[in-house]
Amino acid sequence: MTTKTSLLKVILLGDGGVGKSSIMNRYVTNKFDAHLFHTIGVEFLNKDLEVDGHQVTLQIWDTAGQERFRSLRTPFYRGSDCCLLTFSVDDNQSFLNLGNWKKEFIYYADVKEPEKFPFVVLGNKLDVTERQVSAEEAQQWCQENGDYPYYETSAKDATNVAIAFEEAVRRVLAMDERTDHLIPTDTVKLHRKPRSATTCCS
Amino acid sequence: MAELIRRCSNFFLYDGSKVTGEGDPTREGICYFYPEETPIDKQELLCGQLAGVGRCVSELSSSPVRILRLRRNKYAIHMKDDFFWALGCSVEVPTVSVCELLDQLIKLFCFYNGSIRQSYQLNSRETLAARWARYLSHLQSGSSELHHIFSCLRTIDSTNVDPLLLLKAALILQACQRCPLVLAGCILFRGRVVSTQMSPELTMKVMVHESETYTKAQKPNGLSSTSSSSAAVCSTTVFLTMSELQYLQSPPVDKDLRSHSTPHKDGPLKKTRLSRTLSDMASTESDSSDPGPSQSPQKMSFSPCLSESDNSLFSPAPSQSAADPLHPPPQSPEPPFSNGKHSHEAEEEALEQSYYQSFHSNGDGDSQIHNKGDDSVFEGNSHFNGGGREGDTACGTVFDFRGGESGNEESHDDKELVGDSGRAQGQTAEVGDPPPCYGAFDNPEESPLIPMTLYLHRVKGLVLALLVEPHFLSDTASMEEVYHSSLASLNGLEAHLRTISPGAPGAQGPYIFAHFDCIQSTLTTNLSGRPGGAPEHPFVRATSLLHLHFCNTETLQEAIIRSAGAAVYGTRSVAQETYFQQHGGSLRNSGIPNHQDSAFSLPSKARHRLLKHGVNLL
Repeated sequence: MTTKTSLLKVILLGDGGVGKSSIMNRYVTNKFDAHLFHTIGVEFLNKDLEVDGHQVTLQIWDTAGQERFRSLRTPFYRGSDCCLLTFSVDDNQSFLNLGNWKKEFIYYADVKEPEKFPFVVLGNKLDVTERQVSAEEAQQWCQENGDYPYYETSAKDATNVAIAFEEAVRRVLAMDERTDHLIPTDTVKLHRKPRSATTCCS
Repeated sequence: MAELIRRCSNFFLYDGSKVTGEGDPTREGICYFYPEETPIDKQELLCGQLAGVGRCVSELSSSPVRILRLRRNKYAIHMKDDFFWALGCSVEVPTVSVCELLDQLIKLFCFYNGSIRQSYQLNSRETLAARWARYLSHLQSGSSELHHIFSCLRTIDSTNVDPLLLLKAALILQACQRCPLVLAGCILFRGRVVSTQMSPELTMKVMVHESETYTKAQKPNGLSSTSSSSAAVCSTTVFLTMSELQYLQSPPVDKDLRSHSTPHKDGPLKKTRLSRTLSDMASTESDSSDPGPSQSPQKMSFSPCLSESDNSLFSPAPSQSAADPLHPPPQSPEPPFSNGKHSHEAEEEALEQSYYQSFHSNGDGDSQIHNKGDDSVFEGNSHFNGGGREGDTACGTVFDFRGGESGNEESHDDKELVGDSGRAQGQTAEVGDPPPCYGAFDNPEESPLIPMTLYLHRVKGLVLALLVEPHFLSDTASMEEVYHSSLASLNGLEAHLRTISPGAPGAQGPYIFAHFDCIQSTLTTNLSGRPGGAPEHPFVRATSLLHLHFCNTETLQEAIIRSAGAAVYGTRSVAQETYFQQHGGSLRNSGIPNHQDSAFSLPSKARHRLLKHGVNLL
């Protein structure tokens, strides 16, 4: 079990401009670009890491937060092992929308047991001085909605970013041990599709 | 399948310099002959005949030969120095298409190998034969007959793709350009263009390498993990013509202006000339044969790149420069401009030299520093060696027209120049007008070729292809920046494009159309575009014929071509050509002109029907 590398799909959801792409870039390439354009559709990066003796390849999916990109992003919710609901601590509306994001995810990802699905909540832009959402409010929301872990992050300063992803991995691994369900079944699926697609088109 | 649409029946490259004496066998001069299995005496027969006739005609008429007919075949001819190319097709193929195919083939070869003479000095015939074969098959395979008629780019079917994804692709390319060493790029998916910043001609050339690496990548690729970061990047040296480079290096605002002049370099015979709205207007407004005053503002901005080429040209093909016994790096640089360049250009160039120094000194310094560093991030890349060296050789040497070539060669160039000036006086328009900036260089093959690097980053079926300065490869920081800034987006774009269903071919409507955008060199059609798609289709044949007429008759705007059972309407403007055929409804015609003839309603039907395909004929 320890030598096996599993592929975990983690998806970042949240309003446009809360910093989902920046969080992903900070975590994977340790870079921060203040002038990123809107993400169009979805993007992803892979990162290998070890958590509690488990070798894991984390596939982090970054999504477009704007409403007009909805139809592009939703097909990619399926197969996620963990969902990182993201808001910006300096934008109260993005916090209020967390519930909608959760609903959208559960609907399109076709989650069988929503109450057991591992969500992690991120309050980003901790570096900004003018907060609109207090840590208490956020923690309260997390508790009321299913006892989700909550992290205040800053992609700009690299605060808590790695910790949040590691926590996400722990949650998933814990889920898997409970259900005694091996992850690689997902990995196989991912490969089959493109292969068959290429053979029929070439 | 491919056999059906294979247009080329013969192709050969003949080097006359190898056959000078009476006793020299013709076979000595045959560099490449297609089909390769042709018996050698037949090869000799054809080469001897065509080369002889070609030389004879061109000497009698003192103009280059473009086409020769021999029995049931027509041969596009190209001659340069001692080299003689011929590409034969059946007589049914439009002359423009044959000539274009040959031009494409030669340009493709030069793009990947540099000048012909040098390639044959540096490589064995066998090696280069394989390349000719590859380029030839690439140009002929995989696309529909309609694509061949127009020699257009193969693009993804944008009707099935969310326009936002095209925007995404364009943004990826723009993000890469934040690195100043990146000239331009394109994004391809499964051998089709998603987005490109390059001219259609250049994009087409780049696609050859893409398809090559794709087939290679497919074979050993088992179930690799989805993270395919290693071995996803490769690069190769390519050679740009001066005008291509100038186009790429000019600021984006200038590019529209530039397109005035780009078409000039090819003869009016070829359809690209007709295509450019702006170019046609420009040539009527300002005397097209005079590249002087109207071009001067642009000239200023291009001068740095000319100087650049001066330097980099010195190195023979950079990837081979280390092990090149034939061409040691020139020890005593010749005085600049010895190749018969016009003196006023020389002066201008000298003026610009100082600008160049300040402009480029950074880059060179950079590359030297980074040469020492290892590109360990992108290991497993055998191609990378050339680039670093290139940075070295590119430092402050003097202009030499063609790197390692002998004085003998230069005299040939002089001859060409004489011929060109003759042509510029309007004797024959067959091959080309003077290029926009530098009257001394005429054909792309004759102008110096500037080594650049083609960088490819593959994510499964998706490829990011960038034309970069050669020292990009030794600039680890730049490479990492480009790689990391685009990786996530490429992953995402690939995922998006992969999930798009190829789209049901759709019940073919009551009509067929083909719409060719001459500017972007793209084709929209509702005719099944699969390879081998019935070249004998009457619509395709009619289109081919009409296209030929449009090409040959610049003033022709609309035409209807008909048989007893069908009528095809064609219309064109400087920017597009559109062909339309209505199915069903018996044609009412009695063989004599009749105003009730249903063929006459085709133009209005075409206008009406094609609107929903985004084709506006109003």
